[in-house]
Amino acid sequence: MRPLSMPRYCDAMLGFIIQRLLQSVGVMLAMSALVFIGVYAIGNPIDVLISPDATQDIREDTIRRYGLDLPLWQQYFAFLGRLLSGDFGRSLVFDIPVLELVLARLPATLELALASVLIGAFIGIPLGIYAGYRPDAVSSRAIMAVSVLGFSVPTFWVGLLLILTFAVNLGWLPAGDRGPTVEVFGIGWSFLTAEGLTFLILPALNLSLFKLAMMIRLARAGTREIMLTDTVKFARAAGLSEFTILRRHVLRLISIPLVTVFGLEFASTLAFAVVTETIFSWPGVGKLIIDSITSLDRPVMVAYLVLVAFFFVVINLVVDLSYALLDPRLRRGRAA
Amino acid sequence: MSLLEVRDLRTHFFTRAGVVRAVEGVSFSLQRGEILGLVGESGSGKSVTGFSLIGLVDPPGRIVSGSIRFDGQELVGLAQGDMRRLRGKRIAMVFQDPAATLNPVLTIGQQMALAVRAHGQASEAAARDLAARTLTRVGIPDAAARLDAYPHEFSGGMRQRVAIATALLHGPDLIIADEPTTALDVSIQAQILAEMQKLARETGTALVWISHDLATVSSLADRVLVMYAGRIVESGAVGEVLRDPRHHYTRGLLDSLPATALPGARLNQIPGTTPSLLALPPGCPFAPRCPRADAVCATDPPDVVTGDRLVRCHHPLGVAA
Repeated sequence: MRPLSMPRYCDAMLGFIIQRLLQSVGVMLAMSALVFIGVYAIGNPIDVLISPDATQDIREDTIRRYGLDLPLWQQYFAFLGRLLSGDFGRSLVFDIPVLELVLARLPATLELALASVLIGAFIGIPLGIYAGYRPDAVSSRAIMAVSVLGFSVPTFWVGLLLILTFAVNLGWLPAGDRGPTVEVFGIGWSFLTAEGLTFLILPALNLSLFKLAMMIRLARAGTREIMLTDTVKFARAAGLSEFTILRRHVLRLISIPLVTVFGLEFASTLAFAVVTETIFSWPGVGKLIIDSITSLDRPVMVAYLVLVAFFFVVINLVVDLSYALLDPRLRRGRAA
Repeated sequence: MSLLEVRDLRTHFFTRAGVVRAVEGVSFSLQRGEILGLVGESGSGKSVTGFSLIGLVDPPGRIVSGSIRFDGQELVGLAQGDMRRLRGKRIAMVFQDPAATLNPVLTIGQQMALAVRAHGQASEAAARDLAARTLTRVGIPDAAARLDAYPHEFSGGMRQRVAIATALLHGPDLIIADEPTTALDVSIQAQILAEMQKLARETGTALVWISHDLATVSSLADRVLVMYAGRIVESGAVGEVLRDPRHHYTRGLLDSLPATALPGARLNQIPGTTPSLLALPPGCPFAPRCPRADAVCATDPPDVVTGDRLVRCHHPLGVAA
């Protein structure tokens, strides 16, 4: 009956977070083992590393140096041991620490992914709510047509069209690359300058189209459902304006599926923005992973995929925590 | 002048299956501070009548003709914005299921503040203060502290009190209560009924109490309208209608009340079911279920017999033919 006292609520929350973090360690261990075995099966990096006409001595020396002569499980545990001390290994191709390599590329992908999901959410949700509020209006039908396009048109093709239109024909925006960045906390960001932004716009738009379509669909379905409830009728009977009802009642009530999809889309874009990054020569991690697969750069692949698992785990945790913020009924259930 | 004057109200729903005449020529009036019971089975048009009064008939339904004069102002055809300014301010409504009407993800205080601010600026503190005072009036203890609670932290009866408080915020002239006690426990029902009656008397608020339950209405209302198939079949002062019903349908409703039956005896029931509003018989809509129906009833719709009381029947009870 009584609401939980704040300290008890926080305790329950802390327990939940710790439990989830322990689970996530398990997920990442499993992920690292799978990736390690998978990558091991792809091929022998030695063939790429040294020229075919190298002497047998050089060959064996290199194999030993990288520990490739050991059995798989020994290699794996050696890798895990190094991982615990924060060492992901060295890139076979670039010969620098993998962590350094990935972290240098990560901010580019991070801002690209974030920009695209934010565009998708901030444009898609209002459009979707409108389409759900007036399902029969011509404008709503137009919005739904756009969302069908967003789902069905391939990303690379839209990317090429965007470049063709805005970079080649109109010449308004650069066709690719990242442009200038501003250093904050030792990391370069491009969204902080106007010129940097011009480089970000096209790839972000390209990536956001699918998310936009998704957000429109979700927001529309949720709104249509909520508009028929007595909650909306009661709010109307109290004299609330339609705008207030949509903003304060409906938006809150449909937010849980929206936040879920926002989180999943953010994580998957972070991990797999490969196509867009390639088309716009955006120097992010997506391009890095493709390059490392072609050159069989084993440590980079493993580190990257473990990192991706980490992103998914963390973002899902944040999404779960936000449920409790968005729906008070879940707080009680969790604390019980 | 009466507070509410409804003349020949018709509210129809234009569905794919045809036109549903949910409210078909309803007329009544309501004085300030009066409590009016609107009684009928499901599908009799009583709720649609209520929603018509507050201008919240959902598409595909709309008021096709008639007049609703509220305090001298015509509500039929009133602009959306003007209607919205009346809602919650001068005409309020309470619904059946408080678990469905309150928003589960907003606190009681937030929801009531929205209703306060729907009719003019109010500071956060002023809105909370008004909300807390109104909650106290409907019998919620420790109201100021409960403002930060969510609906699921209240019992069903308390939730309905919150909904009633929300309706009372601006001191409306008229409250439409659509079966507000149906979803509650019997003991809570009685409390809420007594509370509503007291509040209406104290504030001079007129009340339209929609219910399928004659017993509830008899304990609360001054006057009662009995609806059947979108029409008012009988109306009059509560005591008279209950003691001496003129319409066979009202008689049937009274006979089916468990309280009037002898212990152990089978309950009386009205044979048949409510007719489909899509295919009403040409004559009296109650004729197929009526014990007194004859050839005239099947073909000619009955006129309103007035005199001391309104009844729509060819062969009213208790009147020497």
